[in-house]
Amino acid sequence: MSSNAVSLYLDPQIRDWVLFPITLVMILVGILRHYVVILLQSPPKKLPRAAIREQRALVRSQILRATSTNSPISESFYKSISRNLSQAFEAGTYLKDGPPKADAPSTPPNPLSDPNAMDGMMAGMKTQMVMMVPQMVIMGWINFFFQGFVLIKLPFPLTLGFKSMLQRGIETPDMDVRWVSSLSWYFLNFFGLNGLYRLILGGDNAADSTRDMTTPFAAGVPQAPGQAQDYNKLLKAEKDNLELAEGLYSWVGKDVEQRVLRRYGKLHSSL
Amino acid sequence: MDLPSALQKLSTFRARSTRASQETFDKGLVVLKGNGLKKLGDESWSFLEQLALAAIDVGRLDIADRCLQLLTDKFPGSPRVDCLNGVRKEVTESPDAALAYYNHLLDADPVNVAFWKRKVSVLRRMGRIDEAVSELVELLDTYYTDVEGWLELADIYSSCRQYTSSLQSLAHVLLLAPQNPFHVLRFAETAYTAGDVSLAMKSFLNVIDMADADEDAPLEQVPSGFTVRAWFGIKQCARRLQRERLVSPSQTPVPDHLQLLDELATERLKTVYAGRDKSDKEATEVLEWLARG
Repeated sequence: MSSNAVSLYLDPQIRDWVLFPITLVMILVGILRHYVVILLQSPPKKLPRAAIREQRALVRSQILRATSTNSPISESFYKSISRNLSQAFEAGTYLKDGPPKADAPSTPPNPLSDPNAMDGMMAGMKTQMVMMVPQMVIMGWINFFFQGFVLIKLPFPLTLGFKSMLQRGIETPDMDVRWVSSLSWYFLNFFGLNGLYRLILGGDNAADSTRDMTTPFAAGVPQAPGQAQDYNKLLKAEKDNLELAEGLYSWVGKDVEQRVLRRYGKLHSSL
Repeated sequence: MDLPSALQKLSTFRARSTRASQETFDKGLVVLKGNGLKKLGDESWSFLEQLALAAIDVGRLDIADRCLQLLTDKFPGSPRVDCLNGVRKEVTESPDAALAYYNHLLDADPVNVAFWKRKVSVLRRMGRIDEAVSELVELLDTYYTDVEGWLELADIYSSCRQYTSSLQSLAHVLLLAPQNPFHVLRFAETAYTAGDVSLAMKSFLNVIDMADADEDAPLEQVPSGFTVRAWFGIKQCARRLQRERLVSPSQTPVPDHLQLLDELATERLKTVYAGRDKSDKEATEVLEWLARG
């Protein structure tokens, strides 16, 4: 590139009045947002006992199945527990609203009709708003005042492919790729400040705005997908697994005496 | 005793939830007086909880109150501190008052396991066993994975001589913690007491199988600790199974090679007791017992 001979000189005022303010404002907004999100967070809702029981019903059979090929309990105990669970799953004993009625529609519950799920979703929306609004304002501010500014020169050379990334808002075919425009500086900060936030606010901070761009709604509602689950169906499916596990069942004590005798040399392997 | 070693010891106690109350208390006092709270940083709160419980255990309520005050100031309204306060109340106030306190807490937060368990324990202490059992059963129905709860239930049942029910609770314990030979031993002994000798025998054998699974030459080892107990169990079961025709309620088949197992158990127990002094009354009694059958 022969155009290197023509170099740009940036006014130091640009550094003092544009580059630093943009960076500072973005950091401060991130920190502010972290605290606003903390303020907005409502404590997780306490589930009633029946709901917890329903959520944990599956665990029972999973624990039973986990060891079924080498089960620590003898056959009669295993069978009685297994049958008991099967029957309970079939009859819907563990469902929080009691056994389902025969004529009830079999569609999964609508998450919007459940007030608990609604609360969770509102919380998600709230944090989402806190995330998006300041970013939009900052971007508007930069676009309005500093459009077309060249802010900084990167200390290392880059290929032409980075031009659209680093010089957004400046339509020049010939400028060296190392020059960074104001809008691009905003985006670099937007994606790159997470490490800094982690240093300032600790690992579990709410300041990073890129996180909720990838997973909308996920930020505030970790349990939302669980609430829409149809436990009745899940438990019925688990019943089949139980039957399968019962077929594979074997007691760890089945031939334990031979193992012990062999270890102590009383019984030879040929026997 | 110096501060770092006390802190070290206390943190291992915390990690293993050891209830060595007197030792915890002594070491805790060293930490408290030696200004160790600042050194602990964020861990100081769990240390205070540990010290408060130990102090209540050894009856030094002044220290317990000091810890509780610090904790209450730091975490107002924390359920964990509420629970500690409840334990503190159990010491000085009547069980009825403690029960009312826990009921009140449970009304506000019906799913808190800690309160629920304390309530069960107060009920049991008051002798209201039936209520304790029904509360505990409801707790375990909600929180199936609570091993402590199942063990407590088994304990309550066996204290009421309901050995079959106790055995059923222990079966759940085995499912939840299949790697712990102590639970298997307890299961075996309960099975024996319940009259299910072949199930007991199998379970005792399981204990042995688990205990020396990672030893290379089990024959050269002298059995110690709970394996001695298991060998005694095997010996006793083998003896009874050879002499009597016993029906197993759980339809467990009688183990094969009873004769060999009997011999092996006798041998193993002899290695434990044969080396002892003649004057050791316990050893002579055991050897006599072994010689008898």
